[in-house]
Amino acid sequence: MSAEEGNLLVVIVDTNPSVKLMMKGKNVLTHCLDSVMVFSNSHLMISPLNKLAVIACHSHKSSFLFPKPQNDDSEDDRPTDGQYELFAQIDRCVKDGVKQLVLESPQETLHMESVLAGAMSMALCYIHRIEREEKSRQKLSARILVVTASGDSAAQYMNFMNVFFTAQKQNVIIDACVLDKDSGLLQQGCDITGGCYLKVTNVSALLQYLLWVFLPDAKTRKQLVQPPPVHVDYRAACFCHRELIDTGYVCSVCLSIFCAFSPICSTCQTAFKLAPIPALKPRKKKTKTGL
Amino acid sequence: MAEEEDPSSYRWETEYEKTWESIHEDEQGLLQGSVEEILHRNKRLRLQKKKNIRLGMMRHLFVIVDLSEAMAVQDLKPTRHLCTIKILEDFIGEFFDQNPISQLGIIITRSKRAEILMELSGNAKHCMAGLKDIADAVCVGEPSLQNSLELAAQTLKHMPGHTSREVVIILGSLTTCDPSDICSTIETLKSQKIRCSVIGLAAELRICKALVQATEGTYHIILDEHHYKEILYNHISPPPASGITESSLVRMGEFSSHVSDAEGKSSLCNCHLDSKVPGEKFGIGGYFCPQCHSKYCELPVECKACGLNLVSAPHLARSYHHLFPLENFKEVNINNRTDSELRYCCGCQALFTEQTVYRCTQCQQLFCLECDLFIHDTLHTCPGCSSSRNFNMGI
Ligand SMILES: [Zn+2]
Ligand SMILES: [Zn+2]
Ligand SMILES: [Zn+2]
Ligand SMILES: [Zn+2]
Repeated sequence: MSAEEGNLLVVIVDTNPSVKLMMKGKNVLTHCLDSVMVFSNSHLMISPLNKLAVIACHSHKSSFLFPKPQNDDSEDDRPTDGQYELFAQIDRCVKDGVKQLVLESPQETLHMESVLAGAMSMALCYIHRIEREEKSRQKLSARILVVTASGDSAAQYMNFMNVFFTAQKQNVIIDACVLDKDSGLLQQGCDITGGCYLKVTNVSALLQYLLWVFLPDAKTRKQLVQPPPVHVDYRAACFCHRELIDTGYVCSVCLSIFCAFSPICSTCQTAFKLAPIPALKPRKKKTKTGL
Repeated sequence: MAEEEDPSSYRWETEYEKTWESIHEDEQGLLQGSVEEILHRNKRLRLQKKKNIRLGMMRHLFVIVDLSEAMAVQDLKPTRHLCTIKILEDFIGEFFDQNPISQLGIIITRSKRAEILMELSGNAKHCMAGLKDIADAVCVGEPSLQNSLELAAQTLKHMPGHTSREVVIILGSLTTCDPSDICSTIETLKSQKIRCSVIGLAAELRICKALVQATEGTYHIILDEHHYKEILYNHISPPPASGITESSLVRMGEFSSHVSDAEGKSSLCNCHLDSKVPGEKFGIGGYFCPQCHSKYCELPVECKACGLNLVSAPHLARSYHHLFPLENFKEVNINNRTDSELRYCCGCQALFTEQTVYRCTQCQQLFCLECDLFIHDTLHTCPGCSSSRNFNMGI
C-alpha cells in the first residue's frame, strides 16, 4: 500500500437497539462493536498517516465517539498492559460514548429507523475540515464506512441524496456494510460515490468481511477481487407518501415526484393543464425494464 | 450591483466606494485576516440573497460567445478569449450539476457572422468538447449581435412552453455589425419570452441595456476575473419563472434503472452508433428507454428514437435543494457563554476559536463559519436537524 498518502476513514456504526437484528441476542451489538473496533485499529496500523473517526448513530441522535471534540485530559487513560496508547484511547472513547448514548435514549419512543443521513452529513463536515487542515501537509483521501442493520428510510430520502452528491463532489467514497436488511438508498450512495456495498447475513463473520472488503483503500481495491457489484435499485421516494416508487409523474416546474396524477403540485402550488401528455402514455404497460 | 438599486443609473454615476476603509490591521499589524473575513462575509451575503422562488427548472440556455478581435485583448489574463473559456468550463460543469434536465448550447460570433458551435444538449461532456473548439478558434473581425440572437431564437422558440428560454451573451466588443434593425429583433425575442442577459467585458452599451430591459434579463460589466466568474455563476441558479409559462405534469422515463443485463447479452448502444471504434458500440448493461427500449450508456440523454427525456432519479434529486433550501443560520456571539457543552461545532467538531458562530434556527445547534458555508453551499442539509428526530427531515 502506498505510504505517502494518508487515508481518513470515518466509520458510522448504527447502534439503534430497536432494530430486529439487535433483538435476536444480547451480544449482537457488542459483537458488532468489537468487530468494528478491531477493523478500525487495523486501519490505523496499515499506515502511520492513516486517520480515524467513529460516529455512533442511534435512533434519536448521532454523535462522535472518536475523536471527542473536547479533550478532557483529566481522566487517566494510560494503558496499564502496554497496549498502544491510541488504541486504548479509542477503545475507551467508544465504550463510554455508546454507554452514554444508550442511557440517554428516550425509553418510550424508540424508532426503527436510525438517523443515518445526519451521521453522514456530520462525517462530511468533519472530513471537509480535516482535509482543509491537512492540505498543506499531505494528500488525504477520505471514505465513509456505514455499518447498519436498520434498512431503508425513505423519509430521509432528500437528506441522503444531498449527502451522496456532496460526497461525490468532495471525492469521498461511501462504503456500506449492511447486516440483515438491504438498503436501496445506501446502494445508490455507494454506486454514486464509487464505493462498495455488501450485505452480510452472518453477523459472527462480520470482522472477516470488514477486513476483506473494506480495509483496502480505493487504489488497492482495483487490484483485488471484490464482491460483484449489486443490482442498484434506483428508485426515488415520491413526495406525497414518501414511498419508493418505480414510475411516476414529475412536475415540470419543480421536478417533484408524485406517484399519481394530481391537478395541483403540492410543492409549488402550480396548477397543471389537464392530463399528462398523451403521447407518452403507452409506456405504462411496458414494465419490462421496471424493477 | 449598482444596477439593482437604481436601474437607470450607470456605475460611474454611483457613490464612490471607499473599500480600503473596511480593512483593519489585526493585533500583529497584518491585513490578511481582515481581508479573509471580508471575503467570507461576502460569501455569506451571497447565500442570504438566494430566495426560494418558483423555479422553471427545465432550462434551455444558449451561451453566445463573442470571438471578435476585441476578445484577443489582454486585460484579462492571458487573454479575454482564454480566460472566458476557462471560466465557461467551470460554469458548464456546475450548470449541469445544478440543472440536471436542462440543456445548454453555444453560439459563437465573429467576422459579422454567427454560427452554432454546439446545438442544445443535456450532456456536460458534449459541451466540454464544444469548448475545446472555441479554445482553438482565432478571434477575428466584428461580432454581430443581431445575427447571433436570431440564430438562438430560431432554436429556442421551438422549445416547449413550460421550459425556460434563456440567452447569455458574453461580449468583449464595443461595436456590433447588424444587417437590419436590431430593435425589431428585440421585439421578437420579447414576444417569444426569451430572457437575454449580457456580460460585458469592456463597457456598458445602450443597445445591450435596451435588450436586457425588454427581455427581463440582467446586464453586468465585469470588474476583474473574479467578478467575471461571479457574474457568470449567477446564471447557474434558475431564473424566476415568469408566471406566464405553461406548466404541466410530465411523465418521464426517469426511473429507468441501470440494468446489468441478467442474460449477459451485450447489445448495441445508441450513443455510440456513429463511433468509429469497433467494440465500443457493444456492451453489457446500460440504461434502457422505458418507451422504446433503446439503450444508452449514460444519462441524462434525450432518446434518439422517441424523444423522451431519460433521467435517472438521482439526477432529479440533485436539484431538489432549490425546492427545499436550507434556512440561513443566525449569527450569534458566544462571548458570554459559559456552558462548555456548546464550545464545539456540531458539524466538524472543531472547538470554536472565533467569537461569532452560527446557529441553525431549527435545531438550535451551533456551527463554525466554515461549516456554515459548506453546509449552505454544498451539503444543503443541516447535520443537526437531520440527526435529530424532532426536526423532520428532508422533504
Ligand atoms: Zn411543482
Ligand atoms: Zn425512447
Ligand atoms: Zn464546523
Ligand atoms: Zn439544524
